[in-house]
Amino acid sequence: MTFKTSQHTGIMVILGLIATFFTTAASANGPIGDHVNDLQSHLGEYAEEVVWMIEQVDEIVANYERGGLTNVDPEQVVEIWEEVNFHAAIESNYVPVYASIWQGLFGVRQAIEAQQPIAELRTQQDALEQSLWQGLGAVKLAAQFQTRGLVANIENTVATSPVETLTQVGQLLDRVVAKYAERLPEEAVSIVFDTYLTRFEGVEGDLIEQDADLVEDLEVDFNVTLPQAIEGAASVDAVRDIVNEMKTKLNRARALLEEAEANRPSVF
Amino acid sequence: MLPGGLLAQESQAKIALSVEELPALEGELTLYLGRGEGGLYENVLDAIQQRNPALELNIRRGPTAALANAIVAESRAGVRRANLFWAVDTGAIGLISNEGLARELPQDLTNQLQANFRYEKWSPITGRIRTLPYNTERLTAADVPDDVMAVPDSGLSIGWAPAYASFQSFVTAMRLLEGEQATGEWLQKMDKVARSYAGELGVVMAVERGEVDMGFANHYYTLRLKAGKPDATVDLAFTNNDAGCLVNASGIVALSEGDLPINFIRYLLTREVQSFLSSEAFEIPLVDGVAPPQGLPDLATIQPPDINLTRLADLRPTLDLMRDVGVL
Repeated sequence: MTFKTSQHTGIMVILGLIATFFTTAASANGPIGDHVNDLQSHLGEYAEEVVWMIEQVDEIVANYERGGLTNVDPEQVVEIWEEVNFHAAIESNYVPVYASIWQGLFGVRQAIEAQQPIAELRTQQDALEQSLWQGLGAVKLAAQFQTRGLVANIENTVATSPVETLTQVGQLLDRVVAKYAERLPEEAVSIVFDTYLTRFEGVEGDLIEQDADLVEDLEVDFNVTLPQAIEGAASVDAVRDIVNEMKTKLNRARALLEEAEANRPSVF
Repeated sequence: MLPGGLLAQESQAKIALSVEELPALEGELTLYLGRGEGGLYENVLDAIQQRNPALELNIRRGPTAALANAIVAESRAGVRRANLFWAVDTGAIGLISNEGLARELPQDLTNQLQANFRYEKWSPITGRIRTLPYNTERLTAADVPDDVMAVPDSGLSIGWAPAYASFQSFVTAMRLLEGEQATGEWLQKMDKVARSYAGELGVVMAVERGEVDMGFANHYYTLRLKAGKPDATVDLAFTNNDAGCLVNASGIVALSEGDLPINFIRYLLTREVQSFLSSEAFEIPLVDGVAPPQGLPDLATIQPPDINLTRLADLRPTLDLMRDVGVL
């Protein structure tokens, strides 16, 4: 029974990962590089980069412990991340963890800048390391999908139904969190509005026939709650919570539309 | 061309044919499909494909304007990949027509359409009408101006979505019907009294909530809201013979010679497809003999302006005007 449960959980995680692997070209800060189209060949490099990053951050934290703020440059924490190819690999493949990594990096940097006790800094460092390892796992899984052609198939898919469109909306909302965690609030808000206008707005008509209150809720989320949280400098966790609530509503929407489609009369 | 018997029958009755009367489709077709209402155009295409197993239908999907630009670019490069282009708005069709890429359609096909929707080189498929949704707890239809130019001075609170493509087509129609100056003045006055929303469903929902008394929106948003919420406090009003009740259409263009593209278009004008898009997408059938969507008066009882829809392709001056007056 335990085996079945864990197997089921594992399958759900994998399905979730497939659904969340990003479907359009990523836009990392720097050049993305061809390596993202051949992840399998670069897994060793990514693993080395993760270890190197962890060592670099650990050295910064140790220097802070020895000499305080004057002994370190907190900016270096983010600069380390900008130097690695792993950055583009995770950004172009699994956006939720990408957001967590940014959150971890800024957590460490801000703890140093605020001259927090070393225990607090170590907590932030642990969270960063955890997200980096999680990211490496996601890239390894993405490499498998890529090798089997699954990711390429998803990348080439244009939504042909409202249900597929809602899946894309969820992926784009993950990207909103990622960009906000990356300290790019204007880009995050821009993605919110683009997602509304170019994706969600196109399926609202179908959805409102099924549950007008749900559409009303999501309208408010897209046009008020989420952009206001970002523009009001809410925490990344708070923005992620809003997005997760929206994704729960989107899941309900997807179920309603699937049911409606199943009951739709045939054309001929 | 249709078989002679069918042609005679069609010319007399001018009502929608049944799919049972159409020839089977055989061969390869490439259709460029602009994004439509939800996925319902996909349902139609799937049904046509299933009914015609000898048809190899390739579909390229994308934003309507982008596909129109692709067709023009391919033509200029001496390539033709698409046999048909099904667009959600007539502006894109105007672009194709202006490039001389659309082939002429047979008269027995265009005659199936209602008289105001017959064009030589493209076929409207279904229509949508501009409306003034109003809050029924605050107003009656008689309180809503029947002249769109009078709306800004009505004293009513108004919702609009000026960034929305359908709204911009409506402004284009106003520009063509009323002139640049009158349209610019109308936009300026509206800008002072209207509340902006991102999309037109948002406008309709705001009307229903009572945030505004009335708004500007395509008809189907109100009908769909009322389908999901029958007690919604919103209803439709119409202006009279001006851009406020413009009927725009989705449409299709044949880009290559031969019977196959033409016969494919015939399938879209069948009463089965027209009825499906009417009942499921709340779009307005443009062939005779098919009922309009529930909740919408018969088009014959409304007086839309007489305007060649392909002229709505002239969008650039509209955007310039809207920017000049500060609406965009």
